[in-house]
Amino acid sequence: MSDHGAHGAVDAAGQGDHGAHGAVDATPPVTGRPTQEELAERKARTRVPPERSGDIMTISMGPQHPSMHGVYRAVLDLDGEVIVAVRPEIGNLHRGLEKLCEERTYHQIIPLTDRLDYISGFAMNHGFCEAAETLMQVEVPPRAQYIRTIASELCRVSNHIMWLGVHIMDLGTQTFFVICFRDREYVLDLFEMLTGARLTHSFARIGGVAKDLPDGFEHRCRKVIDFLPKRVAEYERIVKHNRIYYKRAKGVGIFTADDCYAWRVTGPPLRSAGVARDLRKDEPYAAYGEVDFEVAVEYNADVYDRFLVRMKEIRESCKIIRQCLDQMPDGDFLARDAAHTLPRKRDVLRESGAMIQDFNQVFRGPQVPKGEVYRSIEVPKGEMGVYIRSEGGPRPARVRFSTPSFYHGQAVPPLVEGETIADMVAIFASIDVVLGDCDR
Amino acid sequence: MTPGEDTLQTLPASLMTAVEALGSTFGERLVERTEFRGELTLSVDPAAWLDILTFCRDDGSTAFDQLDSLLGDHLPERAEAPFAVVAHLLSHTYGHRLRVKTALAEGQALPSVTGLWPSAGFDEREAWEMFGVVFAGHPDLRRLLTTDDFEGFPLRKDFPLKGTVGGRVRTDLRGKI
Repeated sequence: MSDHGAHGAVDAAGQGDHGAHGAVDATPPVTGRPTQEELAERKARTRVPPERSGDIMTISMGPQHPSMHGVYRAVLDLDGEVIVAVRPEIGNLHRGLEKLCEERTYHQIIPLTDRLDYISGFAMNHGFCEAAETLMQVEVPPRAQYIRTIASELCRVSNHIMWLGVHIMDLGTQTFFVICFRDREYVLDLFEMLTGARLTHSFARIGGVAKDLPDGFEHRCRKVIDFLPKRVAEYERIVKHNRIYYKRAKGVGIFTADDCYAWRVTGPPLRSAGVARDLRKDEPYAAYGEVDFEVAVEYNADVYDRFLVRMKEIRESCKIIRQCLDQMPDGDFLARDAAHTLPRKRDVLRESGAMIQDFNQVFRGPQVPKGEVYRSIEVPKGEMGVYIRSEGGPRPARVRFSTPSFYHGQAVPPLVEGETIADMVAIFASIDVVLGDCDR
Repeated sequence: MTPGEDTLQTLPASLMTAVEALGSTFGERLVERTEFRGELTLSVDPAAWLDILTFCRDDGSTAFDQLDSLLGDHLPERAEAPFAVVAHLLSHTYGHRLRVKTALAEGQALPSVTGLWPSAGFDEREAWEMFGVVFAGHPDLRRLLTTDDFEGFPLRKDFPLKGTVGGRVRTDLRGKI
């Protein structure tokens, strides 16, 4: 493992507090808030092994290694147990989604985006629709914005719970994985009720969402979000103070804020480095500007703090969902914009206008102006940017999904070089890479 | 798209300052400046690509410390320069964004920006394998998403969506990859 001598280090502020009482009591080590320089210094200290034999062995980890979270392959150069160099190999799951997008209308692209990050499908739909709506200047009605916010936050909850189960399983506990999957099931049941699907939701539409909230959804959703924070407390009781987890995670895989910017590492790994960067706050979209929540921030930039950030985020997500249910406005769930959106399905066989609109949208597609947009939203794994260039007409000329896993997968060498191979398992899990998202 | 000075007033003040600094430093090497849907695009001369992006990262008024996305594009209707490389920059200091793009002819190389932002490594590999845009000075310009023996550039507009192009199995590479 790494140098644990560093983690008992108390920062200056913590020392001052104790000094005021006149004596240092035997409380657990103060975590404190290290500055970026201290983090960089800590990182340098934990990464350099005391001595090297110079005898390098090259092994291939993945694409079918159980801890690689999909078909990610890392070619490792090892000196004993210490990783000297890593060459990441991705692309085993490449499906040419961007090429497929160029052959489809904007409505037909939405089901493709589900397959990017299949753990949090709705968030991907949402990102694409935000970009397409910016391009088409479609005004999304408030009720749709609230439903989108609820669905996006449910994605975040289910993603983080699943992440936790898999992460802890990588570190050697099978039972906890089952506990997490049991709790994720409640969220997936909500999705099944809301969208009809458990993973590939395809629920967002240009200008809104596919359906209104079903009867009884609010009651069930409230039950789940009342119950999940208690579960999070249980996870923390099991994991947070677990000596084995603490030793495996604390001070491992330190990645400072500057490293994060340079390697475009976003989301929980960036927030664990003491940066309160969250697009939901910084560039509000959907209904995030109208709800009250805190950005989860931790300061030690290691695997342990990424776990803490995600647990805080589940709590904050429950808070956001509760506020959205409380403030849910009445009105349309889909914009009434005949040039760009689909009509409501119920109206298609009853009203001639809706029937014509349906025909136009399905057979011709939306009429989009010429231009290019780039919109970035906060998906559970980080920031996803969607670039669309249109040359007019119903199909985009170029679509690019700048997905968080793509950049997180690239940042594996600077994260793990100098650490041991056992730590690589923990570090790789902590940045939350999904290969569908990575390979596109 | 509506080029011109008056439309730029809707942009954040920090971005206006940044663009003025860029304009005074590089002059006519910034070929075009457009604003669309609240986003600013600078089209630049490919010869000045590295200089402009270095300035964008290092100057105090621009301070673009993150390369949010770098991608290739193919516009076959532009006969003399059918390829484009588009970079999206983000500043954590000011919170503003900027798009910088350049037009390239077939086979024309563009200097790599991996020295400025290491996150460009995968992006440039992808742009190379999908469009054939060569990035001079890239440390590891290999195929990224397709197989190592794949032939052709799949995101070019003339590459077919269906068919068996590039599906040949190369036995001569066995054991070398």
